[in-house]
Amino acid sequence: MERGEIERQLTEIFREVFDDQSIVIRDDMTAADVKEWDSFNHINLVVAVERGFRIRFTTKEVNNLANVGEFVSLIASKLG
Amino acid sequence: MKEGRRVDLSGCTRTVRVALLSDATVNQLVPLLTVLLARRGVRAEVYLGEYDATELEVFNEHSDLYAFRPDVVVILGSTNALRLKYYGSAENRAGFGDEVAAKIESLWRALASHTSAVVLQANYVLPYERQFGNFDHKVPESLYATVAALNRRIAEMAQGQAQVLVNDVEALASYVGRKHWCDERLWTLCKAFCSFEHLPLVAQNIADVVAATAGQVVKCVVLDLDNTLWGGVIGDDGPEGIAIGPYGDGEPFHRLQFYLRELKRRGILLAVCSKNDYEVAIEPFRTHPEMVLREADIAVFVANWDPKPDNIRSIRETLNIGLDAMVFLDDNPFERNLVREALPEVIVPELPEDPSDYVRAIAELNLFEATSFSEEDRRRADLYRDEARRRELATSCTDITAYLRSLDMRIVLARFDEFHLSRVVQLLQRSNQFNLTTRRYQIADCRAMMEAPDTWVPWYLKLADKFGDNGLISVVILKPEPPDLRVDSWLMSCRVLGRGVEAYAMNRVVELARQHGCDAVVGEYLPTAKNRMVKDFYQRFGFAPVEERPDGGAVWRLDVSTYAPQDVYMVGVTHEGGRRSDDGAG
Repeated sequence: MERGEIERQLTEIFREVFDDQSIVIRDDMTAADVKEWDSFNHINLVVAVERGFRIRFTTKEVNNLANVGEFVSLIASKLG
Repeated sequence: MKEGRRVDLSGCTRTVRVALLSDATVNQLVPLLTVLLARRGVRAEVYLGEYDATELEVFNEHSDLYAFRPDVVVILGSTNALRLKYYGSAENRAGFGDEVAAKIESLWRALASHTSAVVLQANYVLPYERQFGNFDHKVPESLYATVAALNRRIAEMAQGQAQVLVNDVEALASYVGRKHWCDERLWTLCKAFCSFEHLPLVAQNIADVVAATAGQVVKCVVLDLDNTLWGGVIGDDGPEGIAIGPYGDGEPFHRLQFYLRELKRRGILLAVCSKNDYEVAIEPFRTHPEMVLREADIAVFVANWDPKPDNIRSIRETLNIGLDAMVFLDDNPFERNLVREALPEVIVPELPEDPSDYVRAIAELNLFEATSFSEEDRRRADLYRDEARRRELATSCTDITAYLRSLDMRIVLARFDEFHLSRVVQLLQRSNQFNLTTRRYQIADCRAMMEAPDTWVPWYLKLADKFGDNGLISVVILKPEPPDLRVDSWLMSCRVLGRGVEAYAMNRVVELARQHGCDAVVGEYLPTAKNRMVKDFYQRFGFAPVEERPDGGAVWRLDVSTYAPQDVYMVGVTHEGGRRSDDGAG
């Protein structure tokens, strides 16, 4: 899957999870940039991404995510 | 979960305050419960306790939990958290289960002393890891055997405590499959109670019980006959041609009939609504040797060619129950949709094409949740049959007074006592129509009234007549506050409407007012979606309105000196059956 297509689908998931249609994701975006992005919604986000892309992360991968750019790369690597 | 953010509460007629306490993360249950209960007409206010702070909140009488004033306290213990404690208890493995059980019981005790809330205690999902494999069962201190024993203990302890109900999470997990129930990564990441996709099931299970505590229970199952209760069409195939019995094509129907008969034995009324000629339709119930359900099992039997919604309405009127307390089973999608369309309150489950799956399809919906089980339930079907015979007599009597006299009614009026408490609470939860204030007191509230005889005069009434015992059919809760005697609650089972029970009770209320030196009886009407029937209740007895509210509610006052005692056609007796001289109930 193209990186652009991953970003498009990921944006939809962000908007759904954080209930905010105005969210636009950027590579350097972190939890600090989104009001509702707390540790709990982080897990909701991860589970929604797993379901949306039909992939599965390990605990370590989830804990080590630094920003959205890394998230996109991780998804891309899983999709192979 | 998204629906939870924009939930429509406009159709909700009552509010229930639910507190969630867990040693796992259960945040998502809050929106889920709100949505699921709103669909049942209940507005849920949900309090989410701090993560893993159940003991701190329960044992501290000044905690936020008690400030929230919960109606229901949900305690969800996770097996993953329990497992950790088990691993840490290597010194005292044999006593571990007992310790956990004792701690749970002490939570219940603390809750009972600080709140009258119903406690909904979850049991534990059996762990998937087995230290000895199958041999675990022979080693009582293995984790698996410990959890299994703990679940039995929770059930046993709850049997002795009416205010504690069990939340059978283990049943949900084994239904889904333990392999899929828990996502260990989510436990690692955020101490999730279970895999997120199964949380709706947990919420549904809680909502089912909470709705039942709020009086939302199914009271009657209305049954189609042809291809629902037996295979084939009785009008075409005749009694010998229909499929019913323990073998072959009749087996699924035989099994369904057993399932329904068990429901009847626990107090759910069965009614028949069939498009058939009456004599043809009832024949198998009378004579077919393989029928499980007999004529006497059916509270109301309607077989004619009128539209089913009309017949269901008439069954509802005969039984005096709400449409939302009825389930309609019919194999025909056309009839199901017709009933859904005309009577949206009636629960109409989809029935699968294969009759072998009928029982499963019904059972999966968990429609018959209960919060108590009393002698009254076991006898309910008989009570309704006696009522039908009374109606026959009534149609033969032209004079209502003569009819009432001929019933030879005997009535007991007494203060609440431990023996009758579960039925009293059940009536408080279930009565909707003849209910002046609809205050849903729980068992702890009633006990508190029993223990404060100077503040409360809580009465129940039991009625019997020559056709049978109607059991405990009315509750009147009074508060003497001289110069007024206040009526806090007044409710009655609609089964005994028109017999003059309320007239008898009013005479006794006024008598009590005089004993307490009260000049007036003050009553209140709080309108709900279902209690219009008693809007003018106080007016009938000569009360005058002293306050009328925009929502239709009103406060009524009776000057005791002007009260004309009502004519009654029943004799006050004691529990033993002796005539009342003065039974001291006041």
